[in-house]
Amino acid sequence: MPEQWSGFSFIVTNLARFIRPDEVTFSGVNSTPPMLACLLAKRAYDFDFVYINVAGGVQPTPSKIPLSSSDPVLSEGSTAIFANEDFYDLCTRGGMDLCFLGAAQVDGLGRTNVSAIGDWHNPKVRLPGGGGGAVMLPTARRAVTWRTEHSKRTMVEKLDFITAAGGMHGVVTPIAVFVKRDGRLALQSWHPESSLDEVRSRTGFAFDTDGATPTPLPTRREVEALRTLDPEGQFERDAKVALR
Amino acid sequence: MNKIMSLQEMVALVPDGASLALGGSFLHRGPFAFVRELIRQGKRDLEIVKQSPGYDIDILCRAGCVKKARAGIVAMEGNFGLAPWYRRAVEKKQIVLEEHACATLTAGLRAAAFGVPFQPVGGVHGSDLPALNKWASITDPYGSGKDVWVIPAIQPDIAVIHVNEVNELGDARIYGTFNWDRIMTRAAKKVFVVAEKMETVESFRERPELTLIPSFMVQAAAIVPNGAWPGSCWPLYEVDYPEVESYMDTEGSLEAHMARAPEAKEASHA
Repeated sequence: MPEQWSGFSFIVTNLARFIRPDEVTFSGVNSTPPMLACLLAKRAYDFDFVYINVAGGVQPTPSKIPLSSSDPVLSEGSTAIFANEDFYDLCTRGGMDLCFLGAAQVDGLGRTNVSAIGDWHNPKVRLPGGGGGAVMLPTARRAVTWRTEHSKRTMVEKLDFITAAGGMHGVVTPIAVFVKRDGRLALQSWHPESSLDEVRSRTGFAFDTDGATPTPLPTRREVEALRTLDPEGQFERDAKVALR
Repeated sequence: MNKIMSLQEMVALVPDGASLALGGSFLHRGPFAFVRELIRQGKRDLEIVKQSPGYDIDILCRAGCVKKARAGIVAMEGNFGLAPWYRRAVEKKQIVLEEHACATLTAGLRAAAFGVPFQPVGGVHGSDLPALNKWASITDPYGSGKDVWVIPAIQPDIAVIHVNEVNELGDARIYGTFNWDRIMTRAAKKVFVVAEKMETVESFRERPELTLIPSFMVQAAAIVPNGAWPGSCWPLYEVDYPEVESYMDTEGSLEAHMARAPEAKEASHA
């Protein structure tokens, strides 16, 4: 029987699929899915890449998988501490190949809002703020984000505030994978239990669908790697990702 | 000169209205015992400077101690999401927020550390943050044609850093990542250290390269075991998640949470 996607495995695994051989890849604070994606890629793929993280880890081998993606256990087994100033400077000088960054709203150009819902000065909801975004999104070679909710509230025509510009290379939601093409987000694939029409109807911006296909199912090794990282299914339960 | 004093004596040195840079990140190695003592002593109108605050800014907002926050990302992290009392304080305009990217705040601290009025920072292009903060951009005076955003100096009055070990002179070292703490200590006018443990001066002489903060930069130090509770302090203890959950219960009492803190228990035994 072929493996199936859950909303959670869809997000984590498709984030991992953006990771390429030998590249410097970073996961940050408030970023559980990318943390899991980096650790999954280390287990499921045959190639090597340089995994660095916000806990100062350089190629770490953490003895446990923390709830917090900035937990210092993520530097365990590391041969160096590459602290916060270091990885930002690496990024701005062009040495960060792939950077995972959070977002509350994403627009068709791949820009993000992580600052406020509503007017910044009179917010309906004050959001966390962009952290690395405004500096890393325009300077990383590629940046990728994720949303656990795919709706016209999150995938918007117009951002309430532009926290970070420069444009995401990729965006993963529970039903779709977008990748940047000619400066705009284009659909690369959709969750096989969803459809092109559903992705269109739940997205606030227009996008190119040339060549888009249903997302290839997870491989046996991807499934096993995720199971190793989340044997009790706690991360999956906590993430509360629903297809609809 | 012996810099060691009690936590209460150290916090008494903080005037109302002070600008405090707090070390650590989110729930990890924050000077949380110090922050709770600020609340016990009823400090007011504080400015909090930190790239990634969480519990610290939230509990200070909950207690009404904050006037202004200069921060890059504020959250409780893990499964806890937004920092509820901070969020409310911003939405109700009880505090002023100066929103940064983590690296723009660092650039401001670097300007102060380098002794220059402003500091260039990479990126930021296309963001609404410069207009919000009235940041300027300058063209490379050496002719590359590139424009660079420049951030004005940010000089906190006091950097407060939670460390693993200190000696009586005030030299301090951290195990694991030091987050943004190094630049905070170089930017601030004064440095206060809260340590898990006292170590000998001799042990620092044996491994001086492990010292992050040299003693001559430190004005005060206190020994508070488990002082980063309910957060972690690598490699000694992990986040106390049940306690953070209890803190996040909006029906729960701040006083009850504060009474469970290690430094409060210590005081009641004294």
